[in-house]
Amino acid sequence: MTTNGGVASAGGVAAAGNGMTATGNGVAAAGGGGVIHDLGYRRYDGPRLGRAGIIRALYWHSLRSAFGIGRGAKAKIVPILVFIAMCLPAIVNAIAMAQQPGQTPVVDYDTYTYRLRTLVMLIFVAAQAPELVSRDLRSHVLPLYYSRPLRRLDYPLAKYIAFTAACLLVIEIPLIILYLGNILSAGGGSAVWGQTKALIPGLGVGVLWAVLLAAIGLVLASFTGRRAYATGLIAIYFFLTWILATILVNVATHGAGVGPPGAPGAPLSASLGARLPGLISPFTVLDGVRQWLGGTNPGPIPNPGNAGWAYGLMFLILLGGSLGGLAARYRKVGAS
Amino acid sequence: MTAPLPVRAQPGPADAGTAGAVIQTDALTKQYGHEVTALDGLTVAIAPGITGLVGANGAGKSTLIKILLGLLPPTSGRAATLGHDVASSGEQIRTLTGYMPEHDCLPPDVTGTEFVTHLGRMSGLPATAAKERAAESLRHVGLYEERYRQVGTYSTGMKQRVKLAQALVGDPRLLLLDEPTIGLDPSGRRSMLDLISRIGAEFGISIMVSSHLLGEIEQICDQLVVIDGGKLLRSDTMTSFTQVSQVLLIEVDEGTAELTAELAARGLAPRRSGRGLLVRIEDDATYDVVRDAVAGLGLPLNRLEQQRRRVEELFRDQGDSGEEAPGDH
Repeated sequence: MTTNGGVASAGGVAAAGNGMTATGNGVAAAGGGGVIHDLGYRRYDGPRLGRAGIIRALYWHSLRSAFGIGRGAKAKIVPILVFIAMCLPAIVNAIAMAQQPGQTPVVDYDTYTYRLRTLVMLIFVAAQAPELVSRDLRSHVLPLYYSRPLRRLDYPLAKYIAFTAACLLVIEIPLIILYLGNILSAGGGSAVWGQTKALIPGLGVGVLWAVLLAAIGLVLASFTGRRAYATGLIAIYFFLTWILATILVNVATHGAGVGPPGAPGAPLSASLGARLPGLISPFTVLDGVRQWLGGTNPGPIPNPGNAGWAYGLMFLILLGGSLGGLAARYRKVGAS
Repeated sequence: MTAPLPVRAQPGPADAGTAGAVIQTDALTKQYGHEVTALDGLTVAIAPGITGLVGANGAGKSTLIKILLGLLPPTSGRAATLGHDVASSGEQIRTLTGYMPEHDCLPPDVTGTEFVTHLGRMSGLPATAAKERAAESLRHVGLYEERYRQVGTYSTGMKQRVKLAQALVGDPRLLLLDEPTIGLDPSGRRSMLDLISRIGAEFGISIMVSSHLLGEIEQICDQLVVIDGGKLLRSDTMTSFTQVSQVLLIEVDEGTAELTAELAARGLAPRRSGRGLLVRIEDDATYDVVRDAVAGLGLPLNRLEQQRRRVEELFRDQGDSGEEAPGDH
């Protein structure tokens, strides 16, 4: 007589291999009282992190992955190259200052070789923002985050703070190196104080860069789970707007005759025409804000003058739009 | 209008079976837009143990699970998981509940250990505890050396085990498993079901496991909840399901008609099923009656087999439905 569909005994395939390990565990005490059968399963009754602790753990995990830490060697190539490239001007400056102490520093704190910085940050954001968000979208791992004690927007929040911190590290550490190079060669306390006074606004500009670029990078990357597409999208957006803004500024500054024939911007009065194209690109917006807030070193765009508020406004629009977009994106992803 | 729900956070294994409901819903309704009604006034109370949540695709199983995790707000009605209201205590519920989604949710380029450790952190475990529990969880689901390999190299069965391990890593009091056997071959399903059964029986964790294959999960469940079109079809313990489902298959080489008459005369209600007859087993005396009937008629008995009819059949209309190859699907 057979019993169709009878329940098999619990000692199936899975249980079979467990004998060896169960002994080590002994009888585990249950949290609420009583004893669980000695089969190796141990209850966890240690401390649990609250929501804030989990967000911090996710932040830390994401910050590490922005530099490829905890991933294979390949994942570290771009972050390392980016970081080295970003440090080069500071190192060159330090060497120059050591050879000829007292000369004017080669590199400024607030603009910091803006062409190089723009290019390097473009590459860093385009390559690493998808690392933080597109991967999880691609592998549909979000339901696993949402089924944990997190709220819907905690995930994008942790990612944003982490990526901002990553951008800050890439931008600010070279500034510190620059500062160290300068003060080591500086003679006297007043010179050191002068350097320190110049460094602080430079660090402030770095914060503006990190806060804005991280937001734009993440929202663009969150549109697609395909890393290559996300990287392309970010790079194209940053690059095209930067090129367009630069061309328009050049056309306006050097007059219509100098620019390519038929280039736009010519009908505008030279000064305003040169002041406004910077609103097109996030990088020139950042420089406009820098000059509006009092930065005097020459940058990629002319001083916006009385149009400076427009740069401040544009900065807030880009930042708010990106963060709002990021939040909306993750509300939607989580609900499905 | 639901009364305060009695179950607290720690229904330890000792009180399994006696304590109140781990899951309770009251007129739970979920509509997507105006057109789609995923759940329609579902009222059910689920006791600790292993519960099968059965329904066809689109019956509302996944929607119910998401509501129970506090991830989807119900359109109306109420639900409580482990005694916590889903509308207000989602975070508490998700601290105590492990969830295994139906679909693929694993990144290919991390190792099983890294992945489960990270999700242990996301469950609120401190770093060291997350590492330890990840290793244990992976061991419990039967992944040993493989756990140091990248997930992308795993077989479907191993991936399902990783998904189960990540649900287990936070030491949940309740597991919600959405179609855990999907995509597995028969032996893979078998061992996944064994694993679930073991977690439920030996780890003292209540489990709700959804499936569209009733015949499959009924084998490991203490109770069943059957939903269809978002409505409750039936909710009961397995015992009460199976009480009515014990049948005896009798096959004789000839004289089936006479035997039918004879059995009917002896007070049984034989039913034709393919080449044999099915009678319900009331008690041990049923066997004697059948034996005497066959012997009295002098018929060549070919086969006498006790069958536990699949619960599936109970939901079918009466008819020639008893005959179904065992171990189908």
